[in-house]
Amino acid sequence: MTQTSGVNDVTSNQPPVITVAGAGIRFQRNRSQRRTFKDLFASQARRVRPGEFWALRDINFTVRSGEAIGVVGRNGQGKSTLLKLVAEVMFPDEGSIGVAAGVAPLIEITGGFVDDLSVRENVYLTAGLHGMKKAEINERFDEIIEFAEIGDFLDTPYKHLSSGMRVRIAFAVISRLEEPILLVDEVLAVGDKGFKEKCYRRIEELLAGGRTLFFVSHNERDLRRFCTRGLYLDKGGLVLDGPIDEVIDRYNADYHSNV
Amino acid sequence: MTVAALSRRKWSPFALYRHSLWLLTSRDLKVRYSTSFLGYFWSILDPLVMAGIYWFVFTQVFHRSGGVGHEPYIVFLLSGLLPWMWFTGAVSDTTRAFLREQKLIRSTKIPRTIWVLRLVCSKGIEFVASIPVIAVFAIFTGATLHWEVFLSLLAIAMQAVLITGIGLIVAPLVVFFRDLERAIKLALRFLFYASPIIYSLDNLPGSLPTLAAFNPLSGIFSLYRAAFFPAQTDWFAVIVSAVMSLLILGVGILVFRGSIRSVLKQI
Repeated sequence: MTQTSGVNDVTSNQPPVITVAGAGIRFQRNRSQRRTFKDLFASQARRVRPGEFWALRDINFTVRSGEAIGVVGRNGQGKSTLLKLVAEVMFPDEGSIGVAAGVAPLIEITGGFVDDLSVRENVYLTAGLHGMKKAEINERFDEIIEFAEIGDFLDTPYKHLSSGMRVRIAFAVISRLEEPILLVDEVLAVGDKGFKEKCYRRIEELLAGGRTLFFVSHNERDLRRFCTRGLYLDKGGLVLDGPIDEVIDRYNADYHSNV
Repeated sequence: MTVAALSRRKWSPFALYRHSLWLLTSRDLKVRYSTSFLGYFWSILDPLVMAGIYWFVFTQVFHRSGGVGHEPYIVFLLSGLLPWMWFTGAVSDTTRAFLREQKLIRSTKIPRTIWVLRLVCSKGIEFVASIPVIAVFAIFTGATLHWEVFLSLLAIAMQAVLITGIGLIVAPLVVFFRDLERAIKLALRFLFYASPIIYSLDNLPGSLPTLAAFNPLSGIFSLYRAAFFPAQTDWFAVIVSAVMSLLILGVGILVFRGSIRSVLKQI
């Protein structure tokens, strides 16, 4: 028994925090395609113009507060796109996506950091952009620095940090946002083993604290470790929505028969 | 347990907008001032060198035979050149508003107009910070300050509206049409000579002043100049440029709204 398996019974009467109804998004197949002004603005139309494809289509699911969802699928089947839609950094072309609570996106976590500013300034900037007030950051600052094990480099420009340190400080900041929903997109593939484990423990702590997790990964062990429910995406559609073990088994079966 | 405490952080949309806008604006300024040794002086030095060149060319070489501009010419020049720096700096930066911040835009969901507005603000703050330059020259040349200096506030508001409008049009379009970036640079160079910066509207021959009034910068610059040259204020030009600025802002909002979802997909 994993420690999260009991959560399901508790969450069944929780209010939904993520509601995805008939969502779809389409992309240009190749960038070099000639674009016209008409393309640019007529983006809500349902028909697909030549050279476009639906990356996701007719996706329906609801996530209740406290659930831990793992998204499974082969490369290019829309996993990261789904995560971006839930993070509301992209908008669907059809259907709707409702996110009722704050989101801490562990997507491109180092993206907000500025090379020329110091670690300290960057912490305040990134946490601030994710909606934290200055007083709150002050409160958590030491904790963040301690977690990232970066105490000696507070006033070093971000560009002089090693890539491992960059990921560490970024993870430390985003994971301290205290938002009810946590989105994780395979960011933890970087960093050394010890820190990776530390991050995972932090995610478990957050889950135990009642957070909702939305997790994209190719790693079966990680998926089983954190998630109770799985979403299997294939060819832009939601093929299966069920308990994580079932979803992974189905994915494995498909994968091996396809290749 | 802790989850209830989590949602305590309540921002009104306006407060969140202002908070994010200020964070990014101050980031821009911090980066600019912390990466260069001269820091703040660059925002003074740039218009100063430009003004020096034009002053030399037009008063020492050409002797401003037709009585172009007004005395003291250096004050006349700077009162057009400083706001022009704001305009050209902000507009040319908006061409890269999305492209330079791709990673950050892909990971935060702050209102996207902030990516344009922060440039208007940070360049605007630099403009305000460069005002002492003109004060120094005004004192040295003995130019008199009139009550019309308060019209500058109106000018600042109009210019902010105008730049925001242009930015909202340019920033999303450049993502799809990269050529636009160079086209804007060219247009800005043209606009410098097409705007009353080194000359004034009444220096233009024939019916050109009326035509030039449709350049929204004409009215705005004439308001700035009113501080030292009250006769410069051309209310026809001011009204035209106010209408033009609001019109451009309206178009900007429409373009931005219509194209933002495609922009987010593209970057």
